[in-house]
Amino acid sequence: MATTKAEVVEQKALRIPFRLSMEYEYALGAHAERFFGELRDHGRILGVRCPSCNRVYVPPRPVCGICYAETREWVPVSDEGSLVGCTVVELPFIDPMTGEQRPVPYGFAMVRLDGADTAMYHFLEETDPKRIHVGQRVKAVFRDQRTGSLLDIQHFRTLEEAR
Amino acid sequence: MSAAHWCVRQRIEIPFQYTAGLAVTRFLQGLTNKKIVTSVCSKCGWRSVPPLSFCGRCWQPITELRELRGTGQLLSYSSSGDRTFGLIHLDGADSSLVHWVVADGGRLKIGSPVEPVWRAERSASILDIEHFRAAAALGKPLTAGAGSYINKRLVE
Amino acid sequence: MGRKVGIVATGQTKHGPKRLDVNLRELITEAVTRALEDAGLRMEDVDAVFLGNMEPFEGFMFPELWSVEGWGGYLKPSVKFNTGGTVGTTTTMAAYYYVAAGLYDTVLAVGFEKQSDGHTQAAITTVGDPVWERTMMAGAVGNFAVMASTYIHESGVTPEQAAKVAVKARRNACNNEYAHLQMPNLTVEEVLASQILAHPIRKLDMCPQSDGAVAMVIAEESKARKLAPRPAWIRAVATAHEQQYMGDSPKRLAIMRSQIAASQKVYKAVGITNPRKELDVAEIYEVATYAEMAMYENLGFCERGHGGKLIDEGVTSMNGELPVNPSGGVLSTNPIGATAMIRVAEAALQVMGKAGTRQVPNVRTALATGYGGNAWTDALILASN
Repeated sequence: MATTKAEVVEQKALRIPFRLSMEYEYALGAHAERFFGELRDHGRILGVRCPSCNRVYVPPRPVCGICYAETREWVPVSDEGSLVGCTVVELPFIDPMTGEQRPVPYGFAMVRLDGADTAMYHFLEETDPKRIHVGQRVKAVFRDQRTGSLLDIQHFRTLEEAR
Repeated sequence: MSAAHWCVRQRIEIPFQYTAGLAVTRFLQGLTNKKIVTSVCSKCGWRSVPPLSFCGRCWQPITELRELRGTGQLLSYSSSGDRTFGLIHLDGADSSLVHWVVADGGRLKIGSPVEPVWRAERSASILDIEHFRAAAALGKPLTAGAGSYINKRLVE
Repeated sequence: MGRKVGIVATGQTKHGPKRLDVNLRELITEAVTRALEDAGLRMEDVDAVFLGNMEPFEGFMFPELWSVEGWGGYLKPSVKFNTGGTVGTTTTMAAYYYVAAGLYDTVLAVGFEKQSDGHTQAAITTVGDPVWERTMMAGAVGNFAVMASTYIHESGVTPEQAAKVAVKARRNACNNEYAHLQMPNLTVEEVLASQILAHPIRKLDMCPQSDGAVAMVIAEESKARKLAPRPAWIRAVATAHEQQYMGDSPKRLAIMRSQIAASQKVYKAVGITNPRKELDVAEIYEVATYAEMAMYENLGFCERGHGGKLIDEGVTSMNGELPVNPSGGVLSTNPIGATAMIRVAEAALQVMGKAGTRQVPNVRTALATGYGGNAWTDALILASN
């Protein structure tokens, strides 16, 4: 129990502070293991293809949700792609996973890699909103030391000037 | 095939501030003054600690708060490590309170009379009560009173 | 399908940024008491209670358990739902199913959230996939900003058009005694000058976080006719989900597959082919100004790319052809566990003719939608017959 000193607010009601801290260990599953193994060891990005509709999925997953068909064919996708959506976050907030404020501004986007039919969230190197746009070509910047996580890609670098 | 599987470790921390509401605020403030307060429904008479502002069975507001002596009887208890917590039926209330219990000389027993032990520094927290003390010196052992209380609760 | 079911009464709390005067249980009781009074019923007359809430926000599991006597749950059957932003409409639909199927005759549906007791941004992070999404997420604002950028690219809507949506919402809210944000004098200029949260979303483009609860009494036909002179009959309901990752539907606001699917289903069920003409009012779940315009398109109120045109032409304002969110919408009030149900309650008030100063004249058919999770949609049609 962690109830601590309650504060009287506006001389009316008390609020009882409590901090919930939950630790997790998420099992990745076979598809994610293969993806991150390839990323870590070879700096390559893989997707899976649905045998029925031919969509290539990144992130990979065992079943195509639209066809309900098992996805077994692994295909490499490019480390270059286009921005489907993008933003620069200005509002400071506490990152619940670190307890620290995430440094702002930071760019993040929905990136569709060439060869994939789905897009993925990742960070952008650029933090000036005037220098990013939907459709912009981008390229993954890989870290030298990779551990098998999405952050083995440090961020995406824009390849062309803003429109 | 590797026997080891990959996991991602994460910790999520979310800060909360529970709004006590005005009745529970009075209860917590009472604790600062070494008082335990119950609410009393004017219709069914149900006495709740911590107090309620609305009776969910009669469906009407509750306005009466009453101070209790603080003594009670131990309805049940369980140990976790070297600490014990119990369900305490406070004299003058119908609901039970969960808190730490400590046997002061002798063993804990269902029906043991208990009384609160207050912390020296209090801050409107349920932990202003350090624990409830069960002591043989406090009074009578389990009587028919506690038993009929238990029956009354099941029937209602 | 099944018996005819109607909404006969509603109750809402005064939604606000921090309801310090009540704890969660008392907040719920406020809405439930008002709904029962509106129906002229006692708690004993309710057969079952259906509850909706988004759990991480209050910081304890089973908030319905911890508040059970506050919603009349003692010795009563109940079902609790947790489907994120859609939970209010999900809960309504579940209540409808049980009554339509004949299991209960008169039920209570309750949506509640004490947003200020928790930390919304931190809690919303748990919605993201831990492996693929969580690290990047910047709460709901970040997601909506990325989605809005795609929509702007597709449609060409401008920040001025978005600002008009914000002005419409907060001015409409002035007719709603329960709304959180009421801004009678809000201007487009003020919206455009408000702080940027994540480009292009500004503070006044985004919904607030509110403490609030809503309750509705839902009954089968013969009871409903006794309880209300003009019940809001639930004529059609639909739910549609998306694929699991946020990038699986890359244009997910601009072309919201679930919203198109769910709305098409309910329109078909009641024979609507031109929603703009055949709906009299819509209460839609718009988290941000850009989202509202995209939803006009997904819901078939206009052609693709014309969402901005609709707001420019005033089609969706109070005296327009199809008023959208006379209540002020999510942009004015957002206690997440209640928000989608507030859409239904407000749509029901319109059909019942009990919407006071925000009443749209001659409402016979209303649409209510819920949005949540990874761009899921619930849609309901309420009608006076």
